Amino acid sequence: MTTGSLLLQLLTGLQFGAIYVLIALGLTLIFGTLGVANFAHGALFMIGAYLGWLISSATGYWLAFVLVPLLLFALGIVMERGLVQFFYRRPVTDQILVTFGLALVLQEVVRWMFGGTTKPFPPPSWALVPVNIGIGYYPPWRLVIIGVTIAIVVLLFLVLRYTRFGLVIRAGMRDPEMLRFLGINVSNRFTFVFGLGALLAGIAGVIGGPTTAVNPEIGMAMLVPSFLVVVIGGMGSLPGAILAGILMGEAVSLSVLIYPPIAQVIVYIVAAAVLLWRPRGLFGVKGVME
Amino acid sequence: MIAHMLRPQSAESPWREPVIMAVVAVVMITLPWILPYVGGYPELATRILIWGIFALGFDLLVGFTGYLSFGHAAFWGIGAYCAGFYLLHGGMNALPAIIIGVVAATAISVLLGYLALRRYGIYFAILTLAFAEMFYYAALAPLQDWTGGDNGLTGIPTPVLAGIPLKGEVIHYFVVACAFLAVYFARRIVRSPFGLMLRAIKSNETRLRFTGINVYRYKVAAFVISGLYSGLAGTLYAIYETYVPTESLHWVTSGKVVMMSVIGGLGTLFGPMVGAGVVLYLEDVLSASTEQWLLIQGLIFMAFVVFLPGGVMEGLHRILSWIAWRRTDLPEIEGRRQAREGAHGAAPLQQRSR
Repeated sequence: MTTGSLLLQLLTGLQFGAIYVLIALGLTLIFGTLGVANFAHGALFMIGAYLGWLISSATGYWLAFVLVPLLLFALGIVMERGLVQFFYRRPVTDQILVTFGLALVLQEVVRWMFGGTTKPFPPPSWALVPVNIGIGYYPPWRLVIIGVTIAIVVLLFLVLRYTRFGLVIRAGMRDPEMLRFLGINVSNRFTFVFGLGALLAGIAGVIGGPTTAVNPEIGMAMLVPSFLVVVIGGMGSLPGAILAGILMGEAVSLSVLIYPPIAQVIVYIVAAAVLLWRPRGLFGVKGVME
Repeated sequence: MIAHMLRPQSAESPWREPVIMAVVAVVMITLPWILPYVGGYPELATRILIWGIFALGFDLLVGFTGYLSFGHAAFWGIGAYCAGFYLLHGGMNALPAIIIGVVAATAISVLLGYLALRRYGIYFAILTLAFAEMFYYAALAPLQDWTGGDNGLTGIPTPVLAGIPLKGEVIHYFVVACAFLAVYFARRIVRSPFGLMLRAIKSNETRLRFTGINVYRYKVAAFVISGLYSGLAGTLYAIYETYVPTESLHWVTSGKVVMMSVIGGLGTLFGPMVGAGVVLYLEDVLSASTEQWLLIQGLIFMAFVVFLPGGVMEGLHRILSWIAWRRTDLPEIEGRRQAREGAHGAAPLQQRSR
């Protein structure tokens, strides 16, 4: 194996990781602020991929890229106002159960509307032909995924770090009750955060759809590793989610080089190892969100 | 010490328990004759009882300690695969197949319990879900030479027990015997001081820990007992269906047992078994008339979570207390209400505020 092919494989790992990162960031934002583990987050990814497939096959890819995240944002708001908000005062198990039920229902609605078969969702034609990037030929679409994810992550950090909204969200992740005492309308902003999480899942769906399969089961298949990314990163930690996402992506990608059948299992082995070593996750802090 | 802790606390009529168990036995045995009257078929009864054991084991953990597991498919599936593997390659005898399946599932539950019980709440649900998926993917690709990959284990011969082939009515009676014992031991466990400990974990784990009790050990014990039940149900499933689909390790199976238990009523033991009946019956009736039965099932499940989180059992309870309310004068109700809350104050149905 040459250095070039190893580097290409690392790049592919980064791309796998990028999708996990986008989903996990949404999960961890929602969990951090609202305290809800959204088991329907995979379904949002799945809907994003389906909408991307629908819109891009009708009007071309760019419109899909703009429209899908906005639609998912709206769906997230509807979900939070229509269902999830009634569960903040209920036990954690009820929150898990209701979002899990919602995931099942969304999955079956999609199956009903579009059938259970995998839809062909090709990336735009210009991104199909591999280009020479110095270390070998590589499909540009995967580079687009990495690029978009980096841009989103940077944007998210800037917003959280330097805007008043970001300040409120960060404070909300620490202590929502205190925030409420300070006279800030927490619930409005948290609804927005839920929408933001859904939007991130939408972006992941529309750019990741061409590399993953577009079928009703993809939601749950993406949700489980993304949840693990959140847990090994340290629940509620955004840098942790990013680091863990990349770690997972690379683990999958490199295991393909060594022994392909293990690729689907490696995620869990890595997760078990990390959790044995650090039960709170890489960036988890004692006493925070436990 | 454990033997001492499993002794039931006797504070009620000595006849209550035998009567309840007799009713359970009669219902289980006559189920194949009851079901055709409501649009089912006799064989459904055996499947309901097998899933009922699974749901019962699930309830022993989730309903009493409050730890919601999304990974019980691991124990069910490993039980089924190991039993199926033995029947395919080892021999026709059902007993060793069951023992191998149950031992394997129990061993895995020790391992998973050790890993997942270090965290609670949401983490526990996520970790159990994830590690069960690990077994699913392991069975799918790396272990496909043993598990048959995508096809699952097919062509399992009809097992024999003491020379009698386990099929038709024989397997029904065999499953009835297993389910009866499962219910008996589950009720013993729940009513023992050990069961009280589990409820204490649910109502306030921190307080329990402060009283100097090693909570972790009780949680692992509950998890392993639950895994043992699920493994037993899984082996019976393999024996009954003479086929092990890959789906038996998939999250869909974990989700199904969650649905059964919630629809029936967590923490009531009989509730989840009733829930198993409701879910399988609906599955049977709905799938015959519509392709979207999974959607309808999901909606019913959500309706229960939103409006009746205590499930069918809470519904029955409410109806009964409404009838009692209709039949009594007001002052007496207050007394009854207090008496009931006294008796059920520690009941797992109510989530106590801290």
